[in-house]
Amino acid sequence: MTALVPLTIAVPLAVAALLIAIAHFIPPRLADAAALLAALASAAICAVLAIHTMQHGALTYWFGGWMPRPGVVLGIGFGIDPASAGFAAFIGLLIAATSVFAWGFFDEVHAHFHVIMLLFLAAMVGFCLTRDLFNLFVWFEVMSVAAYALTAYRLERPSLAGALNFVVVNSIASFMMLGGVALLYARASTLDFEALREAIARAGDDPVTTGAFCLLAAALMVKAAIFPFHFWLSDAHAVAPSPVSVIFSAAMVGVGLFGLAKLTLDVFPNATAPQSFAQGGFAALGGLTAVIGATMCWMQRHLKRMLAFSTISHLGIMLLGLASLSATGFGGMLAYLVGHGLVKGALFMLAGILLATQPGADEITLRGRGRDIFPAGIAMAVGALLLGGLPWGILDAGTQLIGATSSLGVAWIEGTVLFGTAVTGATVLRAALRIFLDLGPTANPEEEQSPTEEEAEVADRPLWLMLAPCVFLLALALIPGEAARRFLTVAVGFYPKLAPGDLAASGAEWLPWLSVFLVVALALSELLRDRFPTRVLVARDALLRPIFFGVRSLHTGLVGDYVVWLMLGIAGFACALAVV
Amino acid sequence: MSVLPWLVAAWLFCVGIYGIVTSRNFVHLIGCLSVCQSSTYVLLLGIGYQWGAVAPIFYDHPPGTPAVDPVVQALVLTDIVVGATVTALLLAMALQVSRKHETLDPQKLRPFIDEGRR
Repeated sequence: MTALVPLTIAVPLAVAALLIAIAHFIPPRLADAAALLAALASAAICAVLAIHTMQHGALTYWFGGWMPRPGVVLGIGFGIDPASAGFAAFIGLLIAATSVFAWGFFDEVHAHFHVIMLLFLAAMVGFCLTRDLFNLFVWFEVMSVAAYALTAYRLERPSLAGALNFVVVNSIASFMMLGGVALLYARASTLDFEALREAIARAGDDPVTTGAFCLLAAALMVKAAIFPFHFWLSDAHAVAPSPVSVIFSAAMVGVGLFGLAKLTLDVFPNATAPQSFAQGGFAALGGLTAVIGATMCWMQRHLKRMLAFSTISHLGIMLLGLASLSATGFGGMLAYLVGHGLVKGALFMLAGILLATQPGADEITLRGRGRDIFPAGIAMAVGALLLGGLPWGILDAGTQLIGATSSLGVAWIEGTVLFGTAVTGATVLRAALRIFLDLGPTANPEEEQSPTEEEAEVADRPLWLMLAPCVFLLALALIPGEAARRFLTVAVGFYPKLAPGDLAASGAEWLPWLSVFLVVALALSELLRDRFPTRVLVARDALLRPIFFGVRSLHTGLVGDYVVWLMLGIAGFACALAVV
Repeated sequence: MSVLPWLVAAWLFCVGIYGIVTSRNFVHLIGCLSVCQSSTYVLLLGIGYQWGAVAPIFYDHPPGTPAVDPVVQALVLTDIVVGATVTALLLAMALQVSRKHETLDPQKLRPFIDEGRR
């Protein structure tokens, strides 16, 4: 079974290398099929490993046979546990679904798109499975470089500007990560997770390891788009081609959060300052991110930018789960990662379908234009309700578990989760109703003008081919939460440092329905705003306008500002770590 | 090990960040990013350095001769490769920007201007 471990990354890497060599001689369909099969193979191997480790315990694979000797760990190892392998399998499946969605999308660049996608896949899988800190950094970098190239693919003004912001901010994050790796190595003289954990326990509360945690956590939070490091995400996700946005929102940012969880639970469980910072700081940042993301989401009219901000909000909710450092919260985060990935992937595919069949992806200008493709509208409404907390499926299991952590002392968690899910779900539902049912007041002149440039994506695929992977993801998201909980009960057992928790926990019965009610009410209150008395509207504007203005003015789109926020965030981390 | 490499690394990082924040030209900004990155090289090499030790090549030294830490040097090499990739990619993007829009000023190149409706 151990022999399968390197294949999880070797298969996509080998197929990518082969494709780039022969792409010019083979028909494009063959390249599409090869990429699809490679992604499926990687996902299948990861799934087999996940099931095997559930029954027989964790696996470790040392590359090149560099087994550790007593006191010296020189080799690079992959450590397989059900959570890591399961998440890696999910990523493989998502890449496979995306390559079906993008069938023929990138024909004119030969197989380059598939090559980069497979590199991206290998990097994310390696990142999930590795147990070596420098190796983690290398996968982080490969993932980033693949993502940079995919974002800038269209070479137009918004995509180049978005990609430049993305590259600059994430490059600085990777420098910080390398700095953190260097500091840890200076103290521990090893890079293996297990050996590091022991060395950190021996060192006690050492400023060098605490500084390393500060740098590493901040770098991973840049990837995971947590306030105040989230600014790049909305620029990059909104301008990338939609198949790429699917992977960004559903997998890449989640991988960053998963890395942060592993770092906190696997490498630093014995360090007091990082642990208490994780409990307080992660919760505060998660809450802020959830609220700011949801508020920005509500203000958007460009579908992809709207979905990008909703991703930010949901990442904040996931961080709230991690912050409890309990089995319940971590299990909830894992379920939420997968459930949110499936729903958000499907929604980005729907945005891609609109971009391919309609002129643009602007909620206002597309008003009523979606009637010809109503099946997409049904899928979008289902996605919106799932995002908004419909009590069914994997995402709901995650919400319930994260909500249940509030009994551990942070009573406002449930409120924040409710705000994030209800507002983002309502925004997507509002767009779906406007586009597919022609609801909402006719646009006034200031709204008529679309603020974004004309854009469209290649429309050479039949609707069913684009809709099939999207419906497939939504169907997966509807897998009953009980199945997810059974898997999680075993999976969190591999993280012994977690506070024990109940994986069958759930919040109040009425809470999800309150969330769904809020989703529908908020969406309709915006669409039917003509029916309200003018005084109500004036009062609402007077109340909300300053908030909206304040939050929006943070998002300047200027890379220098983003870097200043990054530095402020790091400084805040350092201060918080020095105080706790 | 003296404290000097740590100070140099911190200084390089801060100078690079200052340059990125205030930059009005993307090529300048990419240069500043490289300055930032060199701070990680200095930090890594400083960590592995030992006074009086040889380079970690044992071709003409007997095994057991004190040598500087080869692990950090491998890390630096990997980092340089990655840095070169990112810089090349960024410069290619900057080239495309200047070709299509005749500006390299980050202030004039925002992905979404005046977005939002309330």
